[in-house]
This record gives sequence, structure tokens and C-alpha cells, in this order.
Amino acid sequence: MNRIIEKIKGITWKYYLNYIVIGVVAAVFSALTFAGALPQSTLYLLERMTISIILAVSLGLVVGFLGELSLGHAGFMCIGAYIGGKVSVLLADALGKGVVNLLISLLVGALIAAAAGFIVGLPALRLKGDYLAIVTLAFCEIVKSLFQNTSEESFGGPLGLRTPRFDKQYLFIIGFVLVLVTLAVIQNLLRSKHGRAITAIRDNEIAAHATGINVTKYKLVAFVISAAFAGVAGVLYSFANNNVQAAVFDYNYSIEILVMVVLGGMGNITGTIISAAVITYLNTTLTVVLTGNLAVLKDLIYALVLILIVVYNNAPALKNFREKYNPRKFLKALLKLTHPESKKYADDEGAWARVPTKIEMNEILSTDIVVNESTKNPDKADKGE
Amino acid sequence: MEFITTLVNGLSLGGIYAMIALGYTMVYGIAKMLNFAHGDIIMVGGYTILVFLAINPIVSIVAAVVMCVLLGVSIEKVAYKPLRGSSPLAVLITAIGMSYFLQSLAQIIFGTAPRYVIIAEFGSLELGALKIGHGTLITLAAAVCVMVLLNLFVKYTKIGRAMIAVSEDKDAARLMGIDINMIITLTFAIGSALAALAGLFSLMNVPTIMPTYGALPGIKAFTAAVIGGIGSIPGAMLGGILLGVVECICNSLPGVAPYTTAIEFAILIVILLVKPTGLLGKKRREKV
Amino acid sequence: MKKTFAKLLCLVLAVMLMVTCFVSCGETNYAENNTKIKIGVSGPLSGGAAVYGIAVKNAAQIAINEINAIEAAGGAGTLGMQFEFVAKDDEHKATNVSTTYSSLYESGMQISLGTVTTAPGLEFKELANDDNVFILTPSASGDDIPEYDNAFQMCFADSNQGSASAVYFNENYQGKQIGIFYKSDEDYSTGIRKTFLDALDASLKNGIKEASFQEGDNDFSSQVEALKTCDVIFMPIYYTPASQFMTKGKGIVKDDAIYYGCDGLDGIDAIDGFDITTVPQEVSYLSHFNSGATTGAAKTFIDKYNAAYNEETEPLNQFGAAAYDCVWAIYEALKVAKANGKEFDVTTSPADFSEILTEVFTSDNFTFHGVTGKAVNADGTSNISWSDDGFVNKEAVKYVVKSANSAQ
Repeated sequence: MNRIIEKIKGITWKYYLNYIVIGVVAAVFSALTFAGALPQSTLYLLERMTISIILAVSLGLVVGFLGELSLGHAGFMCIGAYIGGKVSVLLADALGKGVVNLLISLLVGALIAAAAGFIVGLPALRLKGDYLAIVTLAFCEIVKSLFQNTSEESFGGPLGLRTPRFDKQYLFIIGFVLVLVTLAVIQNLLRSKHGRAITAIRDNEIAAHATGINVTKYKLVAFVISAAFAGVAGVLYSFANNNVQAAVFDYNYSIEILVMVVLGGMGNITGTIISAAVITYLNTTLTVVLTGNLAVLKDLIYALVLILIVVYNNAPALKNFREKYNPRKFLKALLKLTHPESKKYADDEGAWARVPTKIEMNEILSTDIVVNESTKNPDKADKGE
Repeated sequence: MEFITTLVNGLSLGGIYAMIALGYTMVYGIAKMLNFAHGDIIMVGGYTILVFLAINPIVSIVAAVVMCVLLGVSIEKVAYKPLRGSSPLAVLITAIGMSYFLQSLAQIIFGTAPRYVIIAEFGSLELGALKIGHGTLITLAAAVCVMVLLNLFVKYTKIGRAMIAVSEDKDAARLMGIDINMIITLTFAIGSALAALAGLFSLMNVPTIMPTYGALPGIKAFTAAVIGGIGSIPGAMLGGILLGVVECICNSLPGVAPYTTAIEFAILIVILLVKPTGLLGKKRREKV
Repeated sequence: MKKTFAKLLCLVLAVMLMVTCFVSCGETNYAENNTKIKIGVSGPLSGGAAVYGIAVKNAAQIAINEINAIEAAGGAGTLGMQFEFVAKDDEHKATNVSTTYSSLYESGMQISLGTVTTAPGLEFKELANDDNVFILTPSASGDDIPEYDNAFQMCFADSNQGSASAVYFNENYQGKQIGIFYKSDEDYSTGIRKTFLDALDASLKNGIKEASFQEGDNDFSSQVEALKTCDVIFMPIYYTPASQFMTKGKGIVKDDAIYYGCDGLDGIDAIDGFDITTVPQEVSYLSHFNSGATTGAAKTFIDKYNAAYNEETEPLNQFGAAAYDCVWAIYEALKVAKANGKEFDVTTSPADFSEILTEVFTSDNFTFHGVTGKAVNADGTSNISWSDDGFVNKEAVKYVVKSANSAQ
């Protein structure tokens, strides 16, 4: 018994905090839905939240940990939604609308989205910063346009693809399971040596290259995994809706996901999850509360909140103010007050520090372009300039 | 003959894209930020023209330029300047926030219904069977003028050279006694004035305005700026005209027209893959 | 160990607390506390398509106010109930419908006007079908919208518009060069175009010219160039791009050409600052409403609308007129139901209202006199009835908003 307790004590709880919290939330809501106590608005909200979390966490891998700016996440989601939706339509006769159908669709949707990620990433990841951003944005718009121009029989054209909706009482549970899967894959990847290679590329690509890290390979790995989970979110979307319409997946949607990642704190998975959930909740609540003539205020409020939060969080001039009134510090102090022993965990930064959580993002949008010849032979390139 | 007309139309549309792209490129070159709100400044310029058109067309154009310059500079002061020195992504997000803000503000003030703004009626130049609207010619000429003037300004005036210095190396420029804040403010002022002019010429081309008016031209002009090589003034011009011509040619072919946007973006991808800094962009070495 | 457990317990309690905020009562009639009959709609109130949603919201509110005034005065045949109207913003996106619909439903909406546009409507009808909520949509014209028994349309379905136009073309435009100008990424436009082409005579279809555009395009110079030799240009699009095309086409498209559209063209003569008399070509469309009407019940309604709302920022279009008719049709149907001995009050559940209204709307002798459709009655109203499939039966009118060459 004592040994087990020792073992439990030895677990770094921080590693598992995300799983525990999400698991508990999922369990509570599942219990409620089995009791039939959840109104449909809550069910829909939970579905949307899980989709947002999967999207934000997977984009966070590319933006926060790999350090590349992608504005094409909605494009991969679009591929997942259409392909997964189509598969589920084809399977609906044979397998019904059940879990088996959903699993196969998820697998196919994720694989195709991953393949798209590979095809786009292979050439595009040579580019950096804003160039990569605009190329991924272009990819997103191309995907949207291609699906809009399909025939009515294949993918429905502008009307969209009609998909079988999964039972709304239980779909969000599958959503939560998929969130856990996403977290398991991405967090474990980041804690492995591959993850450290990915963050090394973010911190200094040339240094990483010099230490023998295969930069192209790891960039692609991160990009493809991110695309695959965007595909998973897309399939989930197709099961949460009766229709998949390409017009939804425009660059504005990509930007919305990016906002979740940035507000959550780059390279901070827990923060990303919280911000994805909060932003989805905020969007929904604003839609519900602002009816009639007030609807126009929704974007205004959203924009103002966005600007204020970003300026408050990032402005160098407000640094002292932020540190003085840091809510996290306050919370920590409160926890220490109630549990003096918990100091041990709070101070155990060593293990946690190995996991990349905080980063300086000064390099992400730099214009510096790697030109292969010049890295090989700097003198020649100098003459060329 | 039909093809030549399409080509001329493409040049005119390209001139407008080029004008927007010039503003994008200026701001990007100095501030190193994607100004997502640039397209919406064009929209504000258009509505300013609408408001003041009742007085006099010339007055309305001046008012639009003044309004856009004030707006551009104050956006920079309120939303971008406090973030200087922090993550560029943060600036990107505030720029997006600004874009939403301006659009919804325009909806509150002017409603969502499209409004017609007819600045002047133009005749057309006839060369045999070829018919070219005067508006087209004016747009094209103005775009070329702006590009040449801007190039001369940047290359041969003290302030212009200070701009180049800031875009190359901020710290070194500061050490040389250049007032970085002033240069950045000035860049935003010039970029916004160009946006006002772009709004004017788009209205001459298509005389309708609505709150979402600037969003897509903004993205397309940014695409044009990247195609030409962002930061390069002739590049923005080239990219804009290329994009305009491609758009018009695609739109004139019935089977291809539904794919126009896809083709434009595909061209961007292909060009960047072949030439990662755009057509006229400068290669830079990575500093180690 | 103890404290970890305590922490977990705290967490569970916190989550429970959070959950209780989410949870309201389960399977219930959300309308049981209503004091008025609640009619709801989901439509674009912000963003690019907001001009349609706002017209619907305004016009429906006018109808509600009128009905409430009548009800307040009381008298023979009235219901003795007040109505209220809620509009929620879906930004013309299907993704937002689950939010708008569920919040409408749970706030006690008993009867719905569905959605304003088709794309979100395809989602709305499914959700409304699950709860059996009645839909009478003013303007979601997709063919699939009235798929289920509880859904009805006030506008003509896309396929009807396309085939009706084709029939008109077959009769009147033989031997002419036909052109089509459509929006390739919009279901309304592609839907009408498809049925139009299917029903068009082969002789007309031969050598037909087509040009298209996409969301956000507004420079139509190459499309004008592609269609400049056409005698008749069919435009299954909304009025903003149509007016832009006509402006571009001045002096390029033949002066004796005809622009022919569907109900989307309504409102073209009322755009602020766009003077349709400067367009040399004939502009006409087949529709159920003309915002420039100068006679009949339509005129009375237009005057009421313009007295209540700003013509420039919130202009009226056929969406609004259809919404006005929808609310009145629901009211009239409720009166018929009451006369037939059906019982209902302000707290009746949506499903019960759906039963009551569906029965009236599908009955053979229910005819509504509205402002949309051809004015056939003495008071300038039209006759509107519904098929069992939910499609509307009323007479369309070909409106000539501008005849050829009247400008010069």
C-alpha cells in the first residue's frame, strides 16, 4: 500500500492535470446527459468547445512549438469535414450512424488531411514567417474554392454536403475523448526527444541544424500531425452538423483559431485549452444575448476585448503592472497558504522546465529568409546582393 | 480584340490592387507587420468620400485622404505602438481586431446596405473597335505616378532614406540619430493616404461601398505585394498588375471563372516556391 | 495523498458548481412561462448579408405591432393574445445555427420563421424537425428547405424560379442570343441556373453565353465583355452585384438588351445613389414583390416600412415583404384554427403549435391575402396558399422596373 502511495506521490501531477480536469468535466457532463438533464444548447456548446480545443491545440503545435505561422488550419479542417462526411454518408447504409461509422470516418478524414498537410508542407515549409502565413492562407482559400465547385453528386457544390448527424445527446462525449487523444499525442510528442527537436528548431533553426537535427523532417512531422488533428476536428464537425458548407472554412476561421492559440499563450497547452473554451463560450453567449438591433455590437465587443487583452498581455510598458497584479501569482500564494506542503510541487520547476512552456516569439514574423546557397557559401551571396 | 479589352481591364484592376499593395508594402517594410486593417482603411476612405461628396468631389477626396491619414496614425498609436518590442503575432492579432472593429463601426454608422458613390461620369477613348474607359486610363496613370513618386521619395529624400535605414536595421538606424517613432508614424501616414487613393480609384471603377468592402481587396493586394516581393515598391506594382490581369483573363473564360480566386492563390504559391522572396524581393542572408 | 485528494474533490465540486449554471430543467415545454406568443427567426443581422436579415427583422416587427394593436383592441375573431418577436444573428453561416436555434427554442419560441437565407436554413430545418417546431420561412428559397412536414416557404423555391423563367424565355425570346450572369459560389444562384438550363429549349441553349463571379468580386469588366453581344441576360443573383454589372455594362452591353432576373433583383431600383434610369437596357424580373410598387397593398406596406425605418441604412426588399406576410399568415392561420375549435394559448408548446398550424396550412381552403404575389383582390392583396409539400402557390409577376431606352 505504502509503495503505491509513494508511486502516486512520485507522479508529477502537472503532467496529467489537463487529462484529469478534462476527464472530470467530461465525466460530469456525461453523467448529466445520461440522466437527460442537459438542454440542447449546452450539448451544442460542448460540441463546439471540443472542436475548438482540438483545433487550437493542434494549431498550437505549429505556431507555439514549431514557431511557424500557419493561416491555413481551416483548410485542413475543411478537407477532414468533407472527406469524413462523405465517408460517413457512404457507410451510413451499411453501418448506420453509429460509433463504428464515426471511427472509420475519423480515420479516413484524419489520414487525408495529414496527406494534404504533407503535400503542402513539403514545399511550403521552405518559407518562413509571413511568407508561410500567406501561402497557408492561399491553400485554405483554394481548398474552399475547390469544394465549392464540385458537382452536386460528389460533394454538393455551393449547397454543401449533407451529412448524417450523430446523436446529439452523446456526440460531445466522443468529442471529449478525441480531445484527450489529441492531448495524449501532442503532449507526449513534445515530451519526447522529437518534441525537443521541434522546440529547438523554433528557438534557433540554424543551431538546431548544426547539432544534427533534421530540420525539414521535424518541421514536416509537426505540420502533418497538426493537419491530421485539424482533419479530426473537421470530421467531428461533419458529425455535429447536418451540412458541411465550404464557405464556413474561410481564412477568418483560421484566424479565429489563431486567436485562441495566441490568447492562450504561445506554447502553453493548458492556456490554449482554456482560451479555446472561453472564446467559444464568449462567441456563443454574445450570439445568444445580443438579439435584433444589438447583434451588430457583437463584432465590436469581440474586437475591443481582443485588442485590450492582447495589449494588456503583451505591451512592454505594462510589464511591471502585470507582474504586480499577476492573478497566477495570487493563486499560487493562496494555494501555498492553504497547503504549505504543496510548495514542493510548486518549486519543482526542474522537471517542468524541460517541457517547453514559455517562449520568446521574436523570430516568428521575421523577414529573414534562408537562402540555401548563401548558407553554404556566404561570400558568393554577398556579391549577389 | 476582345482579348485586348480584357487585358486593358486587367491593367486597370491591377492598378487598384497595386495602389493597395503599395501601402501594404510600405508598412510591412518599416513596421514588419501584416496590417490586416489596411483593407478597412480603404473602406473608411470610401465612406468619407460618400459623406463629403455632397459638398464637392475635390473636397471629398481631400477629406478622405485626411481622414485615412488620421485614422492610420491613430490606429498605430493606440493599437500597434504599445506592442512594439513584443511578439509580432500579438501585433497581428490586434490588427485583426482593428479590422473587425472598423467593419462593425461602419455597419453601425452607415448600415449594411450598399451605397452608390458616383464621383464623376467618365467617357471612353475609342481606338477603332477598341473602347477604353477614361476611368481605366486615369487609374492606371495614377498608379504608375504614385509608384514613381514613392520610389523617388524613398530613394532621394532624407526621410525616404531614413525609412530604408529603419527597415534594414532599426537599432543601427537609431544609433545614426534617426527618430524611429517619427519614421514609423510617417510610414503609416503615407500607407493610409495610399489607401484613401486606392479607395477613390476603386470607387471610380465600381461605385458601390459597404462595410465589408475592404476585406477581400485587402487580402488580394497583400497577395500581390508578396508576389512582387514584399518591401519592394516596383514589386508591389508588378504583383498588383499581374494579379489584376490574371483575374480579368480568368473571369472572361466561362469554364475557368468559378476557379478565379483559386488560380490567383495558386499563382502566389507557385511563385513563392520558385522564388521564395517574390519576383523582385531582395534575398537576405540569415544572421547567425 | 490526502491533499491531492482534497484538491481533486475541490475540483469536482467546482465543476459541479459550473455545471449547475449550465443545466436547466430537462424535457420541458420552454414556453410554459410565456406571456405572449413568441415568434423567432435566425438571420444575418451583421456582416455581408445583413441587409436581408435586417429587412426581415424590421418588417416582421411591423406586422407584430399591427397584430398586437388589433389584439389589444379586441373584438370578434381576435385571439385575445399578444405576440412578441425575436431575431438572432446567424451571420449567414450554418455553423451558428445550432446556437441561434437552441437559444430561441429554449427561450420559449413557439413558432419560427426559420432562417432568412438558405445555407443556414438547411441546418435549421433539421434541428426544428427534431423538436417539431413550425417553420414558415420568408426567404430561404432552397428546394430542400420545406423537406419536412413542418416547414413552409413564403418565397418561390429556387427550382420554381428557374423553370418559370425558362418557360418565359421559351415563349418570348426565341431566336435571341441568351446570356447568363451568375454567382458560382452561392446556392441560390447556381440552383436557379441549373433548373433554368434544364427547362430551356435546345434552340435557345445553343450558343448560350455564361459569365460568373465569386463572393467579394465586384469588378465585372471581363464578365460584361463576355456577355456584351447577348440580347437577353438572365441574372439569377441579388441586386447589389446586378447593379454593379449594369453600371459596368453601360455603353458596352447592347442598348436594346434585356436584363432579366428573379426575386433577388428586387430592390435594384431602390439602392441609395444608384439611378436605374441611367441604365439604357430594359430591367425586369419575375418575382412576388416589387419594392417600388406604387399601387395596392404592397404600396401601403412600403409606406409603413419607410415611415418606421431609415430607407438608406435599412432599406426594404422582398425579404422584408415576405417576412411581413409570414407573420400575418401565421396570425390568420391561428384565427382559422381557433374558429375550427382548436385550443391553444400563450403557453402552448411549439410541437402543439406545429400540429395546429401545419393542419391549417395544408388544408385546401386556407388562402391568405398578402402583399407579395400578384394583386388580384379588390383591396390590392394577392392570394397565397401552400401545397402539402410546403411550397408556396401564388402568382408571380414580371416586373419591368425600367423599360428600354427611357433614359435618353
